[in-house]
Amino acid sequence: MESPLSFEDGLTTLLPRLRRFAHTLSRNAADADDLVQAAVERALRSRAQWEAGTRLDSWLYRIMRNLWIDTVRSRGRREDLHAPVEEAERIGEDPRTALEASIDLKRAMAAMQRLPEEQREVVALILIEGFGYRECSEILALPIGTVSSRLVRGRLALLQMMGE
Amino acid sequence: MVSDERFFAWLDGELEPEDAARVETDVAADPRLSAMAAEHRAMQAQLKGAFDSLLDAPVSGSILAAVRNPPQAHVVDFAQAKARREPRRWPSTAQWGAMAATLANGILLGTVVPHERGAGPVEVQGGKLYAASALNRALDTQLAGTPSGDLRIGLTFRDQAGAICRSFTSSASSGLACRENGRWQMRGLFAAPEGQSSDYRMAAGMDPNLAALVDSTIAGEPLDAAGEKAARSNGWR
Repeated sequence: MESPLSFEDGLTTLLPRLRRFAHTLSRNAADADDLVQAAVERALRSRAQWEAGTRLDSWLYRIMRNLWIDTVRSRGRREDLHAPVEEAERIGEDPRTALEASIDLKRAMAAMQRLPEEQREVVALILIEGFGYRECSEILALPIGTVSSRLVRGRLALLQMMGE
Repeated sequence: MVSDERFFAWLDGELEPEDAARVETDVAADPRLSAMAAEHRAMQAQLKGAFDSLLDAPVSGSILAAVRNPPQAHVVDFAQAKARREPRRWPSTAQWGAMAATLANGILLGTVVPHERGAGPVEVQGGKLYAASALNRALDTQLAGTPSGDLRIGLTFRDQAGAICRSFTSSASSGLACRENGRWQMRGLFAAPEGQSSDYRMAAGMDPNLAALVDSTIAGEPLDAAGEKAARSNGWR
């Protein structure tokens, strides 16, 4: 039997991963932090709907992804595609480490932003977050064949970009 | 010859052991494929490494505080919540006839899909069930991601016969309708388990019954936002 506390513990443990996922979707660190905050609030509001014994991570990723899609759509696709990728901020405590990390992260975020939304979320969930194809298709509510073909296109595009 | 999708499924450890062993042999024998595998592994490591730097960064205090001190109203007993959620789904297409009859009797029209006064969301004609009133309008005009009232359009795609199909979700139900003779014919309609909030329906993604129906209906991939708009301009033909 799950105690009420386990939900908060699970959520707290998953925060760093949720934050990473938010950065793979967002164009800058501020948007990513807003997304984490919004997802956490929604998860807490809907916590009674999470079925104890099922995967909390998939449930939380789904909440975050759906929130993100709503944000993107309400902001408008054009703005999203042409917005400059800002400096990723507040990475780690040590300023030297922070600088090195932020250069890599900035490049990686910029590359992700150049992918179409549909490919970015698949790449994020499978290549970065480590979900399997089946789990990814469940989180995104997409057929598994669609997931796998979007993943092929996304990683081919990324390979080209990262090599530039 | 190894297709891209099979090659990457192998790279991601998604193939069954025997199939994986076959691809492994092919890759080992082909310098081009071996180089491609190495390149993609390196790319993924680089990408993942960059984002992994975030895992060690401190999480902002306001988020932690939100998790640790949620408003009291949110503390809900799990057993109670689960009892409220016992699934009460409609049968899928197999028992469609019986369900259509129930719908035709008008018993469930109000509860299955949001509707306007005096006009049901579905109507029966020639033994077939079609979208009507608000549902029909939403399928005709609404784009995915711009919910109107309670109704949200999910995927738009073509079925194996080439007809446009659209899935939809509301707080009370979800379903799939496909274009036939200029109308939206219902292919499936699934009632939401009682007591689910719209937040949950959003978080939960697609009803598993609906997902299975989409999987068995879809040809190729769902339309993207541009394709969806173009299909609307073209009268869903």
